[in-house]
Amino acid sequence: METSNNNPSTSRKRSRSEDNSAPESNQSHSLDNLIFSDTMVALQMMRAQFPRIDKVSVEPFILQSQLYSSVKDRTQVDRELESLRREKVLRVFKLNTGQDDHALMFMEDYLKQMKRAVKSMETKKQGVFEWFEVHVIHSKPEPCIGHQELLSLLSLGGKVKDEDISLLINAGLLTRQLIDSEMYWFAIPNIGSVLKGLTQGRKELLSLLNRKKYKEMMLAILEKKRLRLSPLDIRFHLRDLLGSGHLKTIQTPSGLVIRVVKN
Amino acid sequence: MWKKIGDRESGKLRPNSFITRIRSNRASSLHLSNHKELVSSHRGSVNSLQVDLTEGRYLLSGAADASLAIYDIQRATDYEAGGLIAKHKPILVDKQHQNAHKYAISTAIWYPIDTGLFVTGSYDHHIKVWDTNTTQVVMDFKMPGKVYRTAMSSLATSHMLIAAATEDVQVRLCDMASGAFAHTLSGHRDGVMAVEWSTSSEWILMTGGCDGAIRFWDIRRAGCFSVLDQSHSQLGRRPPLADKSTTKVSTSKARAPPRKVGSGSSSKHSGNSKIIKQTKGSAKQRLHPGLLTSQDRATAHYGAVLGLKATEDGMYLLSAGSDSRLRLWDIQSGCNTLVHYEIVRLQSSKAIQLDVSQDSGVVFLPCMTSIKAFDMWSGKSKMTLQGHYENVNCCCYSSHDQELYTGGNDRQILIWSPLKQIPADVDECDRSTGQPLAADEDNWSD
Repeated sequence: METSNNNPSTSRKRSRSEDNSAPESNQSHSLDNLIFSDTMVALQMMRAQFPRIDKVSVEPFILQSQLYSSVKDRTQVDRELESLRREKVLRVFKLNTGQDDHALMFMEDYLKQMKRAVKSMETKKQGVFEWFEVHVIHSKPEPCIGHQELLSLLSLGGKVKDEDISLLINAGLLTRQLIDSEMYWFAIPNIGSVLKGLTQGRKELLSLLNRKKYKEMMLAILEKKRLRLSPLDIRFHLRDLLGSGHLKTIQTPSGLVIRVVKN
Repeated sequence: MWKKIGDRESGKLRPNSFITRIRSNRASSLHLSNHKELVSSHRGSVNSLQVDLTEGRYLLSGAADASLAIYDIQRATDYEAGGLIAKHKPILVDKQHQNAHKYAISTAIWYPIDTGLFVTGSYDHHIKVWDTNTTQVVMDFKMPGKVYRTAMSSLATSHMLIAAATEDVQVRLCDMASGAFAHTLSGHRDGVMAVEWSTSSEWILMTGGCDGAIRFWDIRRAGCFSVLDQSHSQLGRRPPLADKSTTKVSTSKARAPPRKVGSGSSSKHSGNSKIIKQTKGSAKQRLHPGLLTSQDRATAHYGAVLGLKATEDGMYLLSAGSDSRLRLWDIQSGCNTLVHYEIVRLQSSKAIQLDVSQDSGVVFLPCMTSIKAFDMWSGKSKMTLQGHYENVNCCCYSSHDQELYTGGNDRQILIWSPLKQIPADVDECDRSTGQPLAADEDNWSD
């Protein structure tokens, strides 16, 4: 029933009517012992297809809107993400690139990214990062944390001062919330340029389609285009915009067509 | 259809399931009504609609030009197009009244016991209680800010309180019996946009604020007893019985004890709050145990809460937020059931009024210029009703007739109903009799 090929560099975007059930078998994960739900398969597939960016080394992350466009039932996606989050297989981060953007990252990828960011910061006091990893990350699966709770969890490792929290913010691991001064968001460090590319790439793709006469384009032609402003590939952006409802796919006799949703 | 009636007669089909089936069939096939129309004389956007709770006969609408209108939705005033379209003109429109509101009316609700009174709230900081028959203002309450919503409990037998949600952080309860304020509920950190009484208890009030928090108040006690947190979730309609591993992380944050609390645990929590205050370094007073939840900063939405609606059985609460999400909460466990409703965008500046159908589990939500009907349990979009020219603000579903009334910024009130069969031989009859065909000869009154 499944006609997609397993080779990541040539696998095309699946049409939305197919269920994705072909796992990426040529990866050696430590996750092979987990049960494969539909969401899990989609997550692993997208993680494998994450584009390689030359200048910045970023571990693969997946946007929640991309999941919504790959798996049919959104309630099932939400519930499975919740159970995966509770089992600490992946972490959810709220991004500041627009309303309700969430990024999902597997736990090992996040820890790798964190270590890389911490290494590049030359400071004397590296202890606070260890406490952060051991006490805070492993015990708090939510995307945000309050000031008091952060202090109490960090002090399980040792004596904490306010400068330590500033160190964490400087490293990019925490961000203050704009609405509430007592709460922090967890953040993925060293990801700023990629997020900038994300917003600009979205705008560029939408404007590309909006300039067309009927605001639509064949998927086959669209996939071959390259975006100027974004280091992420077009398939990444397509999935994201389809999931967030800005674009929709229409089945035509000559293939899939992507159209801008007008409202 | 006839077979089903025969089954019901012979006892094969239970009457309740027969009724539910017909109602849900009708509710899933709503279209812009081809036989009914409301002649709206509002000159401003329609902000609030409500069908009265006693008979389901009168529709009350409040608009942004300070006008109110009441429509009789079961009896038409006149017929058009050879008796096919029933036009309903308003019975009462009120703009030039000397005691009328000065600015936009944001909410108009019926007195739940009968249609002799109705309550309106407006951006001119006033809540007025009107007598329907004489169209006089009988009571006037002045609020400290713009009134966004008012609500009265339909279950109440021992109180006549109007809960008022304003741009002030405190929710005020106005007593109709005495004409004074009963008490205020503090806890929100920003204006309150949505307020709803519980459908299972006359003492429980639910409010949603611009800070994104949804709080549950028992009006007999100080403070709220529960704040809904979107990160507390359960995977399913009800929490699993055996699994007691709750996701509520017990932190050093002071939290008000959930639901009814014994005096022992409340002293423990007040002890906690003392410790918190000392570590903060500033000498603050010890907080009343009822106000402990003002420390709780949990949010139900990432933006403001725009609308709340409780289901009739009192078990679930729907909340719409300006982060373009509609969430379904299990009231008893206080958890997010994680049902995902496919919404692209919701208008974020005004409160919206959503509605739930009683039996079939359909949620009607105004999304920008259309109304989306979702299946409540799976989150799938069943219908998108496009008809308004501008943003839709409010919708009201009458389960009596399975009709949906919607009002929007284009000053129109549209009726959506299951399509009615138009008889094919209508033209000949019209010419021969010369009378409106659908004129109801039983429609007379002394």
